Amino acid sequence: MKKTIGRIYILIIMLFLYLPILTLIVLSFNDAKSMSVWTGFSLHWYEELFQSRLMMGAIVNTFSIAILAALIATVVGTLAVLGMAAMKPRQENVLMAFNNIPMLNADIVTGIALMLFFLMVSWPRGYMSILFAHTTFCIPYVILSVRPRLNKNTDRLFEAALDLGASEKYAFRKIVLPELKPGIMSGFLLSFTMSVDDFIITYFTRGAGINTISTLIYSEVKIGIRPSLFALSTIIFVTALVVLIIVNVRQNRLDKEMARSA
Amino acid sequence: MSELIRLEHIVKSFDDTMVLNGIDLSIAENEFVTLLGPSGCGKTTTLRIIGGFEKPDEGRVWFDGKDITDLPANQRHLNTVFQNYALFPHMTVGENIAFGMRVKHKSEQYIKDKIKYALKLVNLDGFQNRRIDQMSGGQQQRIAMARAIVNEPRVLLLDEPLGALDLKLRQEMQYELVRLKKELGITFLYITHDQEEALTMSDKVVVMNNGYIQQQGTPEEIYDEPVNAFVADFIGDSNILDGQMTAEKVVRIDGVDYPCIDGTEQGFPPRLMVDVVIRPEDIDIVPYGQGQWNGTIISKLFIGVHYEMLVQSEDGKIEWLLQNYDQHDVGEKIGMKVDPENIQIMHKPKSEAESAIELDI
Repeated sequence: MKKTIGRIYILIIMLFLYLPILTLIVLSFNDAKSMSVWTGFSLHWYEELFQSRLMMGAIVNTFSIAILAALIATVVGTLAVLGMAAMKPRQENVLMAFNNIPMLNADIVTGIALMLFFLMVSWPRGYMSILFAHTTFCIPYVILSVRPRLNKNTDRLFEAALDLGASEKYAFRKIVLPELKPGIMSGFLLSFTMSVDDFIITYFTRGAGINTISTLIYSEVKIGIRPSLFALSTIIFVTALVVLIIVNVRQNRLDKEMARSA
Repeated sequence: MSELIRLEHIVKSFDDTMVLNGIDLSIAENEFVTLLGPSGCGKTTTLRIIGGFEKPDEGRVWFDGKDITDLPANQRHLNTVFQNYALFPHMTVGENIAFGMRVKHKSEQYIKDKIKYALKLVNLDGFQNRRIDQMSGGQQQRIAMARAIVNEPRVLLLDEPLGALDLKLRQEMQYELVRLKKELGITFLYITHDQEEALTMSDKVVVMNNGYIQQQGTPEEIYDEPVNAFVADFIGDSNILDGQMTAEKVVRIDGVDYPCIDGTEQGFPPRLMVDVVIRPEDIDIVPYGQGQWNGTIISKLFIGVHYEMLVQSEDGKIEWLLQNYDQHDVGEKIGMKVDPENIQIMHKPKSEAESAIELDI
């Protein structure tokens, strides 16, 4: 009895979470433009998607900005962590507090502030301004995920490497960097997701004629949404799912290997 | 034995806290030297200065006749076994041991042979492909040793290497370390706060407190002839008492005169106020009234080999700590006596520094 209730409970949660996404996927294969009537299976919304230069442009923009912003933020953020670690604790705490403010700040405030900044320095708004804005809001997340990896333990490992005769550069590359790697990777992935996800800041810092997926959908909604957007969303969802499965399978295999050699 | 390391008046402070107050120390080739002291006494800082991880504010460090005070850590011919081993977690056991040799561009064959030799030496034959987190604390300790000694250092610095191990393993590793030292024939500079470890393994013990060296000597010298109350208290159990020299080679403790072997010649003239140390195992129990003084047993504790007893003197002023193989009951009245050579007379602390040390106990 208890078990059945538990199962029903899980089922309800799953339905709430995935039914909307399932609806979206089903509708992307619908022949008609209707959002409620199923008229038959078709791939022509996918065709429209790949033929639409507007949408393909938005996809390329979204992902190229996300990758570039995440890369730049990761490099800048990691360097910042190295600098901060060399500071006195009090200075570092002050800096850390400044680092945390942008993350707590409402996106709308950050967006408008960045827009005003671009207007003030008369920086033309377009691809570069979006990239700059995204890099800016990603850096704090990188700092937050890398900083904890650099601690007393890494200091000791660094000293141990020096003790064994390594130069500071070599010790950093071979010993400290691998220790930071998990933090750097999660900082990069976090930045990438934040950038793909962002709408508000992009909306305020983009110029006319440039769109990312989120701003494109927003403008489409105003003139009536087309099912080719469902197709786009489906592709994004399936891609994320596949990546997630690959990462999990790999982790599983690694764990098993580790257990076997133990 | 020729001198290998010399510290010359090393002074070091962090922010405003004095950590080392002028350390002078000489370490001979092939010697097993232990720096012993409570936490915060400056022993680790001394080791880090020799290792090249800290720069002294004043003073010089000499190594084999050369001034190495300003030489960076990676150019010194010594290796360290760190307190928490500091093994590289993303490398296998073999890669950890190979690290120092890779840095020096040794041939792969040389590295392979050396890893094998080192693992055999620390009794971990065949473990080179294991991951570090698969190894127990004791094994990690051995790997840290292996990683250090494959570089053929002239001195091995050991920073409380046994601190994280349980008692039995710690005792085993003490024998291992002495064996390793003999096989390698190199100098060991060992740091610990465990007096037993220090006495068991060392050729020379250096007792430190508050950034000063209190006493240095062989384990026997340190134990039998502590120079002050701090050393006596830190090394083993002891009765530390106020006394006064009443005549030549006679000291009065709690109204009783005891003959001893220190007199004017040793710097203890009559009427001088002194500290007296009597080790608990040096007090003999005799029938009541037949000893030099009497007392009543107020507590008794069996601690393995012997009994430990607290005995209150007749006027109730002093509690004596006694260790004896024979059993006596609580409440029993006993007589006690002590041989003159087992009474250690020490000067009372005089200088400000010494009284500061005194306060810290």
